[in-house]
Amino acid sequence: MNIMKTYLNNKRAVALFTLPALLLYTIVVSYPVLQTLYRSFYDWNGLGGGTFSGLSNYVKLIHDPLLMRSLRNGALFALVLVIFQIGLGTLLALVCADPNVKGRKILKAGYFIPVVLSVTVVCQLWIAIYDPTSGLVNKLFQVLGISYQQNWLTSSTVSIIAIAFVNAWQFMGFQFSLLYAGVKSIPEQYMEAAIIDGCSKWKAHLKITIPLMAETYKFCFILAITSGIGAFIQMLIMTSGGPGTTNYTLTYMIYRYAFLDSKYGYACAISVFLVALSLLATLVINRLFGRERVTY
Amino acid sequence: MKKGANNKSMVIKKKIMKPGQLLLQGVLWLYFIVSVYPLFWMISYSLKNNNEIFSTNPFGIPTHFRIENYIHAWSNFNIPRYMVNSLFVTSISTIGILILSILFSYAVARMAWKLRVPARVYMMIGLFIPLQVIMIPLAILVKDFHLINTYGAIIVPYIAFGLPFSSLIFYGFLRAIPFDLEESAFMDGASVYRTFISIIAPIVKPAIATVAILQFLGVWNEFLLAYILISDESMKTLPLGLLFFQGQYSTDWGGMGAVMTIASLPTVIVFLIFSEQVERAMTVGSSVKG
Repeated sequence: MNIMKTYLNNKRAVALFTLPALLLYTIVVSYPVLQTLYRSFYDWNGLGGGTFSGLSNYVKLIHDPLLMRSLRNGALFALVLVIFQIGLGTLLALVCADPNVKGRKILKAGYFIPVVLSVTVVCQLWIAIYDPTSGLVNKLFQVLGISYQQNWLTSSTVSIIAIAFVNAWQFMGFQFSLLYAGVKSIPEQYMEAAIIDGCSKWKAHLKITIPLMAETYKFCFILAITSGIGAFIQMLIMTSGGPGTTNYTLTYMIYRYAFLDSKYGYACAISVFLVALSLLATLVINRLFGRERVTY
Repeated sequence: MKKGANNKSMVIKKKIMKPGQLLLQGVLWLYFIVSVYPLFWMISYSLKNNNEIFSTNPFGIPTHFRIENYIHAWSNFNIPRYMVNSLFVTSISTIGILILSILFSYAVARMAWKLRVPARVYMMIGLFIPLQVIMIPLAILVKDFHLINTYGAIIVPYIAFGLPFSSLIFYGFLRAIPFDLEESAFMDGASVYRTFISIIAPIVKPAIATVAILQFLGVWNEFLLAYILISDESMKTLPLGLLFFQGQYSTDWGGMGAVMTIASLPTVIVFLIFSEQVERAMTVGSSVKG
């Protein structure tokens, strides 16, 4: 044991092993986080020191008409993810976990493939799919004899849903995998017992499987809602935040104010607000699901 | 005992074989089509001409495989350049992440020093930090270091961002190895470094594979940072380069489809080979965050 001690607290080795990672992480991750917080109190254009302006960036943010729009879009985005990925995902996971399902491997791989594609490819693909004249969606409606046609990405009402759906579609496989693993982690005896007691399969899932998956759901909800709050890339690629500013989100505001308008201090305040909002959402979800925690 | 168990499962089977079950399995395959058909559509229009895409045959398999779309895309657009950039950035980043995070995790998981717990917690906080809160100072940092439009501008951040997650996986793996292994090596007079290289590194191999696959996929597809930090055409990675086509060649759908298919092949192939590893690692690793 002595030998172990002399070897394993070799200070030089510890330094050699940890310092490169810690140093890089500190410069690239920790330091910028503190900078963002610090700069959010400054009127700063990215050059020089800027001038201290107290809370004025935050006051300005509250009065920015883009804020409400961004929050609304973030909420709608999150809602689409929750309904599609968690709602439909739960149904798929429950059915797919059934022992009688054939071709499970192919199904799971098919659900997951979009996850590994580049967001750029997926967005461009859906730009084509949403194309009003030659896109798949409108063509499909024609073929089915539905007269409804839509300018999916330029409509000021539908476009946020259409954009959120692209994200929901792409990352469905990820949420599905989490949910599927959650369903699989529940001991089969519970279901068997419930069914022997005369419970129908779906009632048993509703009363037993789903409540027991509280931990899984907690994570799925955190993922979906923080994705909604932080949404950006789909808007950037598919509509440039437009038409006009209709599809702005918090991150879009940060991007625009910092990199297009050089209002870095203000953009930093929005970043701080975004992180605070995400943390708040995480805490609330933790609370909601923590109470229902069931132990096996 | 065994008989009882059989009876139980028979009861369940009876319940399961309702006609509704067939319908539900239909739902599984229906969503399978929703998930996969857009990709099939992309590949098939990459082999069509505009006439076929728009009017004669929008949904089905191409009547005549127009490989020339691919040849055209490869030689006329900047695809080879983007491909090389992506390969270079992805491999250097992945190697950097692996080396730094294995070393770090080893010291944190198995060596004895005062600050090992704070160091680990400090690194794990990184899992919860969204890119949005870092990107402004990072962009300015990159500018100050004169790294804009160099590979370093994205490789260095990619390595730093990959560290928390990779360290998490390696830490879990390294904690599970019995300590006697190193003890006997030390008894034989091997140094820490030697023990690390000849005993620990080979054992960690499966975890290395998992982390390497995940980081490869993540870095290959990374868009936001690259978009902010790279504007030089010759430095662009594939996700960034593809964006450029949208404006330039939007009338040539076949060519676009070919470009997108080429860009997707590497990650799809990696996924199809290692699918179970990818899914397991992604879900296991991420559930720790909740």
